[in-house]
Amino acid sequence: MTLVKQAYLLLCKDLLLELRRRDSLLTMFFFGTLLLFVFHFAFDMPPDKVAELAPALLWLAFLFTGTLGLAQLFQAERDNHCLDGLLLSPLDRGALFLAKTGFNLMLMLAVEVVVIPLFWILFNLSGWNLLPQLFLVTLLGTVGFCVLGTITAAITLRARARELLLPLVLFPLMIPVILATIRCMETVLKTGSFGDATPWLRLLLGFDVIFLTIGVLIFDWVIES
Amino acid sequence: MRLTVKHLAKAYGYLWALRHLDLALAPGEFVALLGPNGAGKTTLLKLLAGLTTPTTGAIELDGRPLSAGAAAVRGQIGLLAPAEHLYDQLTVLENLRFFSALYDKGSSTGALQAALEEVGLADRAGEFSGNLSAGMKCRLSIAKWRLLDPGLLLLDEPYGVLDGNGIDLLEAFLRAHCAKGHIVIMASHHVARALNLCSRALILHQGRVHFDEPKQTPWPGFDRAFGDFLPRGGL
Repeated sequence: MTLVKQAYLLLCKDLLLELRRRDSLLTMFFFGTLLLFVFHFAFDMPPDKVAELAPALLWLAFLFTGTLGLAQLFQAERDNHCLDGLLLSPLDRGALFLAKTGFNLMLMLAVEVVVIPLFWILFNLSGWNLLPQLFLVTLLGTVGFCVLGTITAAITLRARARELLLPLVLFPLMIPVILATIRCMETVLKTGSFGDATPWLRLLLGFDVIFLTIGVLIFDWVIES
Repeated sequence: MRLTVKHLAKAYGYLWALRHLDLALAPGEFVALLGPNGAGKTTLLKLLAGLTTPTTGAIELDGRPLSAGAAAVRGQIGLLAPAEHLYDQLTVLENLRFFSALYDKGSSTGALQAALEEVGLADRAGEFSGNLSAGMKCRLSIAKWRLLDPGLLLLDEPYGVLDGNGIDLLEAFLRAHCAKGHIVIMASHHVARALNLCSRALILHQGRVHFDEPKQTPWPGFDRAFGDFLPRGGL
């Protein structure tokens, strides 16, 4: 069976399990929404500072929400030693990485589709026409987050304090993605187009491709160590 | 299927769980893996399953090394651990279908149903495996490995959760599996049952091979070797 077929099989299994348990998606959705309300009451955003503050706040919400999802990413495999069941099989470990990254990405995107418009409404922002460009930047940033997140979730899988360890390992590695995403969003909000942000966009795209490839290649070592 | 183990050893930190194990098994052999708690039985099974890497030594299946990248070799190994390696939120049938696809067996629903029929779980096919008792989960594992038909089947204490019928099912399956030329290695504390099935006994003690012989009748060497681990009656 090819890598893609194996990844698809695992992804279908994870989606079916999530559909039945609804743990991760509901928790992420409510936590993300809750954070937006906390930000709404905590910050009085002046209209001239919107372009600088909004992307940072939005990404703070995504980062915390996504970390919550990552902590649950391998829960099904922890129960009944199912991870051993997978590692025992002829499964390509790269397929496991692709499936988990894909699953995490789907959860994050489902949350973001609700959270971004809600953010716009709560902070009374204008420029609804910019949403497609912002979604594109968010997509690239989220791919980077999910790729790195899956690798770090696998590294901390067998650690005792994995929930604490996960953000400590992940957040410093995420700095290039966060920086590039926030700069891109800021430029879009200020100018209405990508304009000067094209180098940041390229950085994001390069980051995603490089770490996705590295993930497929090293996941064998990561999951078995 | 031939299994060759050369100078196998595994250390956890400073503790040697297994030391200097050499083993050569021919097709159709059934090894009863015996020994007291902490002897290294589960460590040996995990090493043979490729779930942990040896500190020294090598494992070969039909001359091919069992290394991390050897997907084809891994596909020839099964580990039946009661109530483990099953997804609680998948139904009995979905678990079988998932693992069958993972091993690229492409079993039809009819074949999956037939496998469940043989272990007495046909009427529980639509139930979540998390709702099954430990004994039923073990039956499901038997159905799973019957379908996947691995060349080397490892079992870790399978008797503990099975009822009388379940034990008969398991033993019939293991006999049929060996008859196909596959190798079975079973770690168990149910010595009489394991000896009844086996063609060879391997006793581990403190990580070392204490006894390793093909089955004989009578077997005074085994009686002497195993006598060291028998309970003393608490007096």
